[in-house]
Amino acid sequence: MKLNSNYIIIAVALVLLGCNRKEDIVFKEIPDTETGITFVNQITETDDLSILDYLYFYNGGGVAIGDINNDGLPDIFFSGNQVKNKLYLNKGNFKFEDISDKAGIRGNSTWNTGAIMGDVNGDGFLDIYVCAVVGINGFGGYNELYINNGDETFTESATKYALDYASFSSSAAFLDYDLDGDLDIYLLNHAVHTQESFGHANLRYRRNYQTGDKLLRNDNGIFTDVSEQSGIFGGPNGYGLGLAISDFNQDGYPDIYVGNDFHEDDYYYINNGDGTFTDKLKMHFGHTTRFSMGNDVADINHDGLPDLLTLDMHAEDEKVLKSSEGDEDYQIQKLRLKQYGYYYQFVRNMMQVNQSNGNFKETALLSGIASTDWSWSALFGDFNQDGEQDIYISNGILKRPNDLDYINYVSNEQIVKKIEKTSLVDKQALSMMPSGKVNNYIFEGKGNLLFENKSTSWLNKNVPTVSNATAMGDLDNDGDLDLVVTNLNELPTILQNQTNNKATYLKLKFNYDKPNTFGVGTKVYAYNKGTIQFKELYTCRGFQASSEPMIHFGFKNAKTIDSIKIVWPNYTYQIEKNIATNQTLVLKPKNTKIFVNHTDNTKKLFQKVDNNLGINFHHEEDNYTDFIRQKLIPYQVSNKGPAVAVGDLNNDGKADIFFGGSKFKSSKIYLQQDSTYIAHKFFGIVKDSIKEDISAVISDFNNDKKNDLFIGTGGADFYNKAKPLQDSYYIQQDSTFVNHKLPDYYENASVVRPYDFDDDGDLDIFIGNYTVTNDFGKTPPSFLLVNTDGNFEIKDSKVFENIGMVTDAVWDDFDNDGIKDLIVVGEWMSPKFYKNNNGSFTEVVKTDNLNGLWQAIQPFDIDGDGDTDYLLGNWGLNTKFKASEKFPLQMYYADFDDNGKTETIVCVEKNKEYYPLLGLNELANQLLFLKKKYTTYKAFAGQPITAILENNMLEKAKILKVYNLSSGYLRNDNGDFKFIPFETELQLAPITSFLKFDFNKDNKEEVLVGGNYFGVAPFHGRFDAFSGALIKDANTLLLAAELGIDFSKKEVKNLNIIYIKNKPYVLVTMNNDDAEVYKISN
Amino acid sequence: MKFIKIVLIFLLMSSCRKYDPIVVTPNDYHNAVDRVVQIMIHDIFSPPVASRIFVYPNIAAYEILAKQGGKYKSLSGQVSGLTAIPDPDDSKSINYELSALIAHLDLSRKLIFSEDQIVEYRDSLYNIWESENPEVFRNSKKYALKVSEYITAWMEKDNYIQTRTMSKYSIDMDDISRWQPTPPSYMDGIEPHWNKIRPLVLDSVSQFKPVPPPEFSLNENSRFYKELKEVYDTSNRITEAGDTSKEIEIAQFWDCNPYVSVTRGHLMFATKKITPGAHWIGITKIACKKSNFNYNETVFAYTKASIAMFDAFISCWDEKYRSNLVRPETLINLYFNDNWKPILQTPPFPEYTSGHSVVSGAASVILTDIFGDNFSFDDDTETPYGLPVRNFKSFYAASSEAAISRLYGGIHYRAAIENGLKQGKDLGRFIVKRLHMTNE
Repeated sequence: MKLNSNYIIIAVALVLLGCNRKEDIVFKEIPDTETGITFVNQITETDDLSILDYLYFYNGGGVAIGDINNDGLPDIFFSGNQVKNKLYLNKGNFKFEDISDKAGIRGNSTWNTGAIMGDVNGDGFLDIYVCAVVGINGFGGYNELYINNGDETFTESATKYALDYASFSSSAAFLDYDLDGDLDIYLLNHAVHTQESFGHANLRYRRNYQTGDKLLRNDNGIFTDVSEQSGIFGGPNGYGLGLAISDFNQDGYPDIYVGNDFHEDDYYYINNGDGTFTDKLKMHFGHTTRFSMGNDVADINHDGLPDLLTLDMHAEDEKVLKSSEGDEDYQIQKLRLKQYGYYYQFVRNMMQVNQSNGNFKETALLSGIASTDWSWSALFGDFNQDGEQDIYISNGILKRPNDLDYINYVSNEQIVKKIEKTSLVDKQALSMMPSGKVNNYIFEGKGNLLFENKSTSWLNKNVPTVSNATAMGDLDNDGDLDLVVTNLNELPTILQNQTNNKATYLKLKFNYDKPNTFGVGTKVYAYNKGTIQFKELYTCRGFQASSEPMIHFGFKNAKTIDSIKIVWPNYTYQIEKNIATNQTLVLKPKNTKIFVNHTDNTKKLFQKVDNNLGINFHHEEDNYTDFIRQKLIPYQVSNKGPAVAVGDLNNDGKADIFFGGSKFKSSKIYLQQDSTYIAHKFFGIVKDSIKEDISAVISDFNNDKKNDLFIGTGGADFYNKAKPLQDSYYIQQDSTFVNHKLPDYYENASVVRPYDFDDDGDLDIFIGNYTVTNDFGKTPPSFLLVNTDGNFEIKDSKVFENIGMVTDAVWDDFDNDGIKDLIVVGEWMSPKFYKNNNGSFTEVVKTDNLNGLWQAIQPFDIDGDGDTDYLLGNWGLNTKFKASEKFPLQMYYADFDDNGKTETIVCVEKNKEYYPLLGLNELANQLLFLKKKYTTYKAFAGQPITAILENNMLEKAKILKVYNLSSGYLRNDNGDFKFIPFETELQLAPITSFLKFDFNKDNKEEVLVGGNYFGVAPFHGRFDAFSGALIKDANTLLLAAELGIDFSKKEVKNLNIIYIKNKPYVLVTMNNDDAEVYKISN
Repeated sequence: MKFIKIVLIFLLMSSCRKYDPIVVTPNDYHNAVDRVVQIMIHDIFSPPVASRIFVYPNIAAYEILAKQGGKYKSLSGQVSGLTAIPDPDDSKSINYELSALIAHLDLSRKLIFSEDQIVEYRDSLYNIWESENPEVFRNSKKYALKVSEYITAWMEKDNYIQTRTMSKYSIDMDDISRWQPTPPSYMDGIEPHWNKIRPLVLDSVSQFKPVPPPEFSLNENSRFYKELKEVYDTSNRITEAGDTSKEIEIAQFWDCNPYVSVTRGHLMFATKKITPGAHWIGITKIACKKSNFNYNETVFAYTKASIAMFDAFISCWDEKYRSNLVRPETLINLYFNDNWKPILQTPPFPEYTSGHSVVSGAASVILTDIFGDNFSFDDDTETPYGLPVRNFKSFYAASSEAAISRLYGGIHYRAAIENGLKQGKDLGRFIVKRLHMTNE
């Protein structure tokens, strides 16, 4: 067919237009000239009152949206810090009338904070509870309760209801925690004392009226402080800024999540259902935000479980990031945990995804929402009504007090000048802090736990502001979600949602039993075409704010949806079917049934064995910390143990277990008895406790019909030709083991894999080596040990000398010639294929360049096409590392400072430039010249690595690259291999172990997957989110909760099958933790 | 033609114009030292590193002056590895005092971070000197920079660069008697490898190794416990007495902490002061002025004092990371009172022995040797930092007070103070005995 040139032009034009098509905005800012909203939360610094006197001087006031006169239009209440509160009556069409004076809500407290709406007295009208900070800096007043008189006026009644707390409140939430039908209150307070020492975490038990949070039970209109009896902490250490209410564990009783600023842990209060709560944060979370601020709850992955986003203050912008106070030191974090009793906290947002076993997996880095600068409020809502939750995040700080130049240089000069004064930091000094006015963030939910930044495209303008409390509601009753964003010292931003009829919605309001007239705590499950959406009605959301008491869903184009299930606060439910969208339903309980919680009683494939079969092995990692010696190393390489090997060690035909020890810790051997294991000491083995055992194999190497033991040792602490770097080889003689000589080599082994590669009847061994101690980035030689009568020699072969930083290897016949070949994986390298030509090896290229941080390899026909594919464990995508074909992760490696020792600098791409992940302090600790080159942090911030390093350094640097961080598999395409990444659930952490077995006895093998890694600095956090999974085939993945396993918060190093009485069990071995045994039921 | 002749004559005359000699006064040297101190405060150097920034520029200046062959003898052969500095190309056209000052500035520039601050200062002086006498200035400068190069090469062999990249301090969390980072910044242990720095006069870094600290024990009858309790009780007693109490005044006067971190919520700032070494450099200045020391005497005094302090820090740090003793704050927070805060902020390194005590001990011996005992002086070194003037009857009185101030400040046990002072004085006496800097 001959193309008409006109068509070509049109086609090109279309393509071009397509590229340039501007995405529709979702929010349009409506100016005050139209809305009539002129409230400004102006804060005024005086000599006696500034951020120096009150640490939360810049946190802003509150905002609440709700229909206070029941005219169908949600109204807006603003609380001012120092200015009077305002109430705007919604007149429709985004016109508002200021009725503050008439309404009688202007307030009497000196410093107001959060504002929450709820019907406290059950008369069907929304009341307003306004929090206040009282008792410091001359702040007077108390928390005020404005009872709605039903006529657009209010009567302040806090004293009458016993809610007139004069403490340091930031916010509050309405909830019916005891399910007695009325609304109780959780009052969030914050400490104000200066953070000097950590203080022990037990401080939280020391109750303090002013700073402690309070649970206030509604006893017929009088609120009783039941904090102590109900197990709510109330210490002087709690800097409560975030408050979320949700029935997180779906047992019918609302639970509470409290986000605390600074080093106090967040609290995760599980409602015990008997009026008490238990903080189970450490049990159910792997780590949390450090400077916790606002938070919000929504089901982001359609599993009917509430997920939690908590905010922190990590900046995306290099200029801000590198001139702000950085992360905690590795050792200091350890100290804070071990000695002071706190938990893992890291400075960035955390997306805590609820799993049905009660545990949360944290995905913010993978989700793309980890860094939104100094963030206050997060609100989940389906803003574009495509059925996925989007997020609006308000942020900004008037002045950045954590600016490093300010802290180290500017402040002092000012202080010296003003030394005579008692108030050291005066206005002038404050004015020298850099401004933290920034754009707010908006993210589109893309499904699969992923979000996309739409901050520039979804808003018609996004000007830098200092935005705090934010509330959501359908202000124009057109069915989509509008936003009210409060700004410090400026007019609020009123955002009108432009989705209108581009997608369908469903709004639900409740007319519930008095006194909980608005049905706070009601849950709604919306089902459509096999997808669940789940929402729960709580008004307190975001930060110091409450949103319109209604539930909102988006359904893309669906005109009707299959059904909705409403679970009322009293745990009855009803189902409504075939619901038309684009309407607001007002529901009251009708034909309700008792809701029976869907407790998962199905028998799981794996069950933990109570007595662990007598295997009480606990691996204890030694104290060595790589960061102390190699300050710039990107991750630790010293904690890769323990080695595990299964095999008969006492010639009784039963498989025994060898567990390697870490440095200076003995290995352990468990001998199988009739139905359990018993620890046994073979003196010849136990005495060698100096070495760190990384990989081991039990096999008969000298063909005397008795098993021997070979151990690859490492640990990355011993160096040069240190004896403990020599691998171990024990030959079984009589009933003991005797050390047998090995060739002279001293390396940090990562993997030992036996195979009779030369087909001479004895087992040879491939030794994969990982790293050169004190010289991370250098390739150690790997070896093939040739067996001659039980004696090993290094095969004279150049081919393995320079493989790379090997982590795993497998003997497998990848070319189907009947002889097993060798495939080796490792870090900063591509999987390497070595063809076995009857005993000699040649490297063959079988894949694209797939440089990764590979951790494990497993042959498995995942697509069921009869040939062997290879599963590959990589670093995962839940990380600050970034890699792509175009912009690989780069590691500069050289002796930059000519001190005879090499350094590594890992850089990631941002806007086409490469920046080191570490900041000036860390880099200059090793590269002294930087101290002179950059005498301010500002000068350093935003500098790419090519500007940071001098030309001669760049020239001598070797750049190691990683193109791909995804775990996945190599699909066998007729002998060549194409990499297919796994789905999101397998990218949450490094995958370190595979175990292939027919677990469910369906005559097909499946692969059990384990991972996680903690050997990273607090900058990276902690890769603890992967709970384990079972790969059945390319399209079928079973997750931990449904399998009955839970590997989250554990660094899985080995998965093995052990048989007892012909029954298979799974042995899971972790670094620095107890080994676990699971029964396989089928 | 006539015009040209006039011009030629004029040119001839002007080239033969007589310049006044460039006069460099002791004050010029004091000012240069002060300037460097200011930059050191800005750049933030720990006390041991600061002692190094003082000593090499002083030695460079001193060696140039000694080259004149007057009263002062070269240190070459007397301090580790220093050989005779090169001779000037033309000794006649050189102003040695000027060369000494330029060399001092140039070495200082190399040692601090914010070079622009010293360059600005230096260039304004250069302009003045150049206009006063270009030839002498240029020759003196040329020689100064040559000596600066020479001293730099020697200096760079002191293992400082190597120690920068050595391992960080490793916290032992299982042994509570070991030092661990302290509030509020929980900074890493500073300079864990300072004992690998080449000392100048000491035969070995452990030459003045003090007796070990009292054995760690939380038994109420143990000496260690009693000393711990003494810190706690003293602090409580003087805090109760209030800010005007004599002890608090003494503690604050001798704080000499180059970086005190202050935290107010997310707001942080630092109050920065001079180091203990800089305080004694300040006292040296006061003594020089009071004694009307001339230029060469002044440089001599600074040099000898800074050599003693340099070695004192090495000796002290050697002990600090040997005994690796926990600070009172850690123990008091754990066992007595988790709200207790010392009056001074605990510096980020192990407790034993007290750095201020060792250094003050060493400096007071040197200054007593130079200026005599019972040398009374008004110490106004700390007035720029809002602290009062204190009068001392002698250098020893000052060093004793500096030492005990650490107990009042709540950052040292008594043993670290008493043994530290002894360690410093012994070391100072050794240096007095060993160094022969004058030809008398």
